[in-house]
Amino acid sequence: MRLSPLRLLPVLGVALVVLGPLGLLVYQSLLSAPFFDPTASYSTEAFRYILSNPDFHRAFGTSFLISLGMTSIAVPLGSLLGFLVVRTDLPGRRWLEPWLLVPVFLSPVVVAFGYVVAVGPVGFFSLWSRSLLGVVPWNLYSVGGLIMIAGMTHVPHVFLYVSSALRSLDPAVEEAARVTGAGPWRIAFTVSLPLVWPSILFSISLVFLLGFELFGLPLVLGDPGGLLVLTTYLYKLTNLLGVPSYQLMAVVALSIVVITFPLVYLQQRLLGTAARYAVIRGKGQAFRPLPLGELRWPMLALVLLWLLGVVVLPLAGVALRSVVRYWGEGVSLTEVLTLDHFRRLVGYPNLVRGIINTLLIGGLGGALAVAAYAAIALSSHRWQSPVVSLTDYLVLVPRALPGLVVGLAFFWVFLFFKPLSPLRSTLVSLWLAYTVVWLAYGLKLISAALLQVAPELEEAARVTGASQGLIYRDVTLPLIRFGLLGSWLLIFMMFVREYSTGVYLLGPGTEVIGSLIVSLWGTGALDLIAALSVVEVAIVGLALFFALRLGVRLDA
Amino acid sequence: MIKRVFVVLIALGFCLAHYSDAYSAESREVVGAAQKEGRLIVYSSTDSSSAEPLLQDFKSLYPFVTVEYNDLNTTEIYNRFVAEAAAGAGTADLLWSSAMDLQLQLVQNGNAQAYASPEIPGLPKWAVWQNQAYGTTLEPVSFTYNKRLLPQDALPQSHADLTRLLNEKSAVFKGKVATFDPEKSGVGFLLATQDLKVSSAFWDLAKALGGIGVKVYTSTGAMLERVSSGEHTLAYNIIGSYGLLRQKTDPSIGLVFPKDYTLAFSRIAFISKAARHPNAAKLFLDYLLSKRGQGIMANKSLIYSIRSDVDGVATAANLNKELGKALKPIEVGPDILAALDKTKRLDFLKRWQEALKR
Repeated sequence: MRLSPLRLLPVLGVALVVLGPLGLLVYQSLLSAPFFDPTASYSTEAFRYILSNPDFHRAFGTSFLISLGMTSIAVPLGSLLGFLVVRTDLPGRRWLEPWLLVPVFLSPVVVAFGYVVAVGPVGFFSLWSRSLLGVVPWNLYSVGGLIMIAGMTHVPHVFLYVSSALRSLDPAVEEAARVTGAGPWRIAFTVSLPLVWPSILFSISLVFLLGFELFGLPLVLGDPGGLLVLTTYLYKLTNLLGVPSYQLMAVVALSIVVITFPLVYLQQRLLGTAARYAVIRGKGQAFRPLPLGELRWPMLALVLLWLLGVVVLPLAGVALRSVVRYWGEGVSLTEVLTLDHFRRLVGYPNLVRGIINTLLIGGLGGALAVAAYAAIALSSHRWQSPVVSLTDYLVLVPRALPGLVVGLAFFWVFLFFKPLSPLRSTLVSLWLAYTVVWLAYGLKLISAALLQVAPELEEAARVTGASQGLIYRDVTLPLIRFGLLGSWLLIFMMFVREYSTGVYLLGPGTEVIGSLIVSLWGTGALDLIAALSVVEVAIVGLALFFALRLGVRLDA
Repeated sequence: MIKRVFVVLIALGFCLAHYSDAYSAESREVVGAAQKEGRLIVYSSTDSSSAEPLLQDFKSLYPFVTVEYNDLNTTEIYNRFVAEAAAGAGTADLLWSSAMDLQLQLVQNGNAQAYASPEIPGLPKWAVWQNQAYGTTLEPVSFTYNKRLLPQDALPQSHADLTRLLNEKSAVFKGKVATFDPEKSGVGFLLATQDLKVSSAFWDLAKALGGIGVKVYTSTGAMLERVSSGEHTLAYNIIGSYGLLRQKTDPSIGLVFPKDYTLAFSRIAFISKAARHPNAAKLFLDYLLSKRGQGIMANKSLIYSIRSDVDGVATAANLNKELGKALKPIEVGPDILAALDKTKRLDFLKRWQEALKR
């Protein structure tokens, strides 16, 4: 295919926004002081210190273990869930869907805190368990507990990818399997899921990477007991030498970036050629859900059990905390009930503005981000070139950088790169930073959908004389509309939750819910945090619910 | 009628008194220049809800200054300020943070401008450093405990008491005590090193804490929540102002200010050298240090007034009465900077880790 500037520009744009902050970090890692300090000189001291530091090795090992563990929980469960909800006649599947996504938009610190209130050593459920059974049979603060919770709460990420790919799957292939007598399990494992292998494979890399990036969960659940992971180690580096040592932090961040390379390489090797996965062919067929038969209700029970563990448990903890003055061992709940926290929340400075900004950045910003991702995805669509496989590496990099570092990197870029500096402290800078960080997410969602559009559809249009632009507008984009809507929804929730990326770009007037939560966390106003989180869940939940029920038909 | 005139006159008198009181300490030039600047950018670690009464009151005094109050955590303040100052971009006019060490480091590196506040006579000598860094509060550091779990008569009243209690009842306190993580928290490090400076027995306490498997935290809020719930019975080195604020809504929290010595820390404010609104910053600094501003800190924000002439709930006067010589304020000065010396710092942390057997 001809190399046109239209194809090249978006790719160059990606390279710029990713390599800018990354280059800055590489540069910083090779200096002896902050890069803006006139006394800074080239030095490999930071690398030598980190690589020989036993704490780093310990933290890296723990992070690796947690990543591995949570990937092996989240990916199978998420894929299965996607199959059940999208392809089968699971009872109530359309009502379930908004709930499945709840863990995605809750701040991990809040989720972790919810678990502490619900099943911590003196949590509500632990105290019930102790009074009923005499013991608390679980330990929330163990590595196992952390892996379990991290794995379960990342199920929705996998679910979103797999389900969106499954939605565009031609039902004829499953139908064919069914008429030859295959049961739902057989169909899932030998037909449907293998056909969405690209999405599953990508989920694996992503969840694995997110495991290294976990911060809120290990900070709240593991850190007090001395469990060190890479991000909490990074946190330690801000204080270890008195003032934050950027060069050390940069080295640790780069060590996570390095992990993305084998991940992407493996992905590319395993996927081979995209044509194998094209299943939206030139012929359409009506969709009929696969009957689960007698498995219907047991499967529903399984899904509900997962919901109980991942949504109900932490949310119940947070919700309970929002209506009690205090809680714990020796407290009778009826005596401490109050609505005061909500009343105080109403009077909290800048609350309304924070909520509006959050919805704005999630809704409008999310839509704009999806448009940008679509432009990028289309530009590399059906383009066999080393440039494209290079892009695969690039897009994962921003997500590999831990929040503590990526926030600083974006801040520096907006501060020291003069053409951008007028945008600093506006929602535009925040939007740009969020869009870059979630690049891999949105892009993969869209390109997975694109992968499944068979080339003959576009070729048919081309034969009739349509230009490339017209083909995209009238053929390709309409065919991937589910993918686009799905990724808008996902990005909306990511942007609502995101905080650390923008921490240095926020100021008075651009507060978001995330920043309010962090500032409340500092003073320990967990009662207000709980109330705010309940409000957040209510708002986002309602928006989601109506989007799914009315406007955004994911399963039309 | 006469009565009404009388009332109006009294009201007028109050207004006048109010104004003359407000402006008395301020030079006309500063007020005039601040009026021209019209804006003030503050980076502060004091959360918005505690700061709100101060900001409201400041606004009623100087309605012509619009305050942009950025509520950030202490590391964010530092990171943001150093980069912005280096870039020559707009940054804070005034920095008000509880990270005494980071603040003094910034001042030491020449980021502050000297300003002799007219409020200096009302402050303790140790609270002002080179007319650049000003301690604005006096916040005692406590043992915070759960009242349901720890009976009044079992309370440790001194550091030695606490060490003994932990050693004697190690089974009871296993995993039930919390403290700051000096490795991850600057405040935690500062408090621990000051402990060591005041008392050579600190390492005994650290070993006792290690013996019962102390849990370490980076935020006061997380510790208070878990003391309140009973997950922890006691937390060591909790800043009293946070405990006091929490007590307003939570009867399970109790505070002990140890009788042998009680450290007191101070939120430090300084005016940035790069300030674009230096006069507005001076007005705000003076206001924070003034009897009026300190009165609000003592009674509404509950962050402990540093002035001895302020009445109210959270005041230096009350602390001095209760603790006398046992009150050991962390002086705003080179002492804190010594804590930033890298070699000493790593040595201290190594000993801490050994004491905790981590």
